[in-house]
Amino acid sequence: MKEQEKKPRAFRGASKYVLDEELAKIVNISIALEMPLLLKGEPGTGKTMLAYAIAESLGMPLLTLNVKSSMKLVEALYQYDTLTRLNDSRFGDSKRDVSDIEAYIRMGKIGQSFVADEKTVLLIDEIDKADADFQDDMLDVLDQMSFDIIEIDKTVRAKNRPVVIITSNAKKDLSDPFLGRCNFHHIAFPEPEMMRRIVDVHFPKLSEETAQACIQAFYRLRDIGGVEKKPATRELINWIRALRSDPDFRPALLQRGDVPYLGVLYKKSSDLTLAARAIARLRRQ
Amino acid sequence: MFIQFFYTLRDRGVPVTPTSYLRLQKALSMGLVTSLEDFYTVARALLVKSERHFDLYDQVFLHHFRGVELKDPETHELTDIAKALLEEWLKDPAGVAAAFGVDEKKLKKMTPEELIQYFLDRLKEQTEAHHGGNRWIGTRGTSPVGHSGYHPEGMRVGGVSRNRSAVKVAMDRRWRDYSQDGPLTQAQLGEALKRLRRMVPAGPKDLVNVDKTIRETLRNAGEIEIVFDRRLTDRLKVILMIDNGGWSMEPYVEIVQTLFSYARSQFKDLRTYYFHNTVYDVVWQDAQRYYRPERLDDFALRDPETRLILLGDASMSPYELMYAGGAIDYTQRSTRPSIDRLKFLAGLFRHAVWLNPASLWEWDRVRTIGIVRQIFPMYELTLDGLEAAVRRLVAKN
Repeated sequence: MKEQEKKPRAFRGASKYVLDEELAKIVNISIALEMPLLLKGEPGTGKTMLAYAIAESLGMPLLTLNVKSSMKLVEALYQYDTLTRLNDSRFGDSKRDVSDIEAYIRMGKIGQSFVADEKTVLLIDEIDKADADFQDDMLDVLDQMSFDIIEIDKTVRAKNRPVVIITSNAKKDLSDPFLGRCNFHHIAFPEPEMMRRIVDVHFPKLSEETAQACIQAFYRLRDIGGVEKKPATRELINWIRALRSDPDFRPALLQRGDVPYLGVLYKKSSDLTLAARAIARLRRQ
Repeated sequence: MFIQFFYTLRDRGVPVTPTSYLRLQKALSMGLVTSLEDFYTVARALLVKSERHFDLYDQVFLHHFRGVELKDPETHELTDIAKALLEEWLKDPAGVAAAFGVDEKKLKKMTPEELIQYFLDRLKEQTEAHHGGNRWIGTRGTSPVGHSGYHPEGMRVGGVSRNRSAVKVAMDRRWRDYSQDGPLTQAQLGEALKRLRRMVPAGPKDLVNVDKTIRETLRNAGEIEIVFDRRLTDRLKVILMIDNGGWSMEPYVEIVQTLFSYARSQFKDLRTYYFHNTVYDVVWQDAQRYYRPERLDDFALRDPETRLILLGDASMSPYELMYAGGAIDYTQRSTRPSIDRLKFLAGLFRHAVWLNPASLWEWDRVRTIGIVRQIFPMYELTLDGLEAAVRRLVAKN
């Protein structure tokens, strides 16, 4: 029994996440090698969802660091809350000890994943938004599994190595030292069959006919050229949800070339008009 | 292990590092890789760090492993199977004997060594052809060892697998679309735009504005209120000069124009001018190159910090570039050779790049490209080229 507990649990997908075998292998190898996994791919291919699914299936808490362009690494590690300290020192009505700087250190997401008592899944979302320095420095921290808090001259070491998932939207390559320290996978946009399975997971009661018609129409729409942001999985799910709530909807409508609720699929007005025009053209043919 | 595979990847231009190779060895030694399929996936995740190289990886993988996959099982592999059979025999003598169609008692008389030898001989016989039936080696048989199974060490025993084999997967070349060779296309517009967006040298709001902080703090009755400012970085002015003469440029003119007009809001000022093949005394603001000429000398009045981007294939007859009066349009028989005009521009604007839709291998073959390259840093009109160009343009010096 004990032997079994020691073994790293393998990741096999979660309740709302359809996992392809290849990706499962890569996730498991990254966990085994204790390396960060870098995921790239079009928006809507489920990069972020994967981290949620891993956390769910392995029963670990998930910490999400949403990277912003103006972010500095130190914010992801810890924050020294000078304002509160200043405030406390003047009014002295808090229970904190003003002379103890450590009481005013707040852990950022990476810091939290280090000090957590159990193993966590750390999702670093959209790393491409930050500049190159941030990326390289962050990998240093994740490599060493420790960082220094300068203000109190203390080193924080990870109690448990978190499972690190990093996502990136851009097709741009990240820097070489960064890539060198990650495992890499690119999630391609799902094929229709895969999409069918994804839809089935989200809408178990959807009729065969509707599912088929929706997915067909969806891939037809994705073929429309010149669109800045193509509809992705998320849009499809929302769209089906919208169609299902419409009592007048019949799958036959889609086969005729009608596309109701186009606004759910296209989020930019220029894309919307473009798509509407393309659909009108298709119907005339 | 797999050193040759590693070096083939390197030779073919996949940037693989020794560190990642060692990591792969670690993964192999941990027993995480049990089949060629696993190897395909794991080696890719560990060695290849960009989807642009996935296609190349597939090709190298095919080249390297196809032989292993398709060749007949070799003797040492058969030996492994024979050993596995021996174990099987110890567990279930009747079953194994039945599978070979021999009397169980006959086998029982043999020593283990003899048994292995016997299995080996039978296996060799049977490799030739036995499809169907419950023979040991054959396709769609009922036997536990054979094709569409894995022998104990994980290598496939030849034949085409029932599962999708790694080589089959590699043969699909699923990632072909992701290799980003070739000039910019309409489909890549969005990506290209993201690169242009980096042309704004704006940082985080991390500069304390002391004056405002004091004022705000006073206004707040002494409650400290710190005001941050963005660092003082001005937005860029951009001059785009496009060679729109000749059919060779036609497919790119529109893409580049769309690209920059989408990005317009990023810039303080964006001006587009047109020229034919190369720049002489004037460039034009209208695409017909007729109505609104602008004298090149007047560009000296522009802000020297303006970013100058030239787009053209820089391919022409050398005399168009080198000699006075070399222009092919008689209306602009200038007295000065074009090369001087280009040097003049390069002298005016220290941040200047030339984007060239011609592919790299042409660059060494066309003489005028070589000449222009000495004046302007030249980049391919690809996503990578654009990225490098942008990096150059926003560099501080």
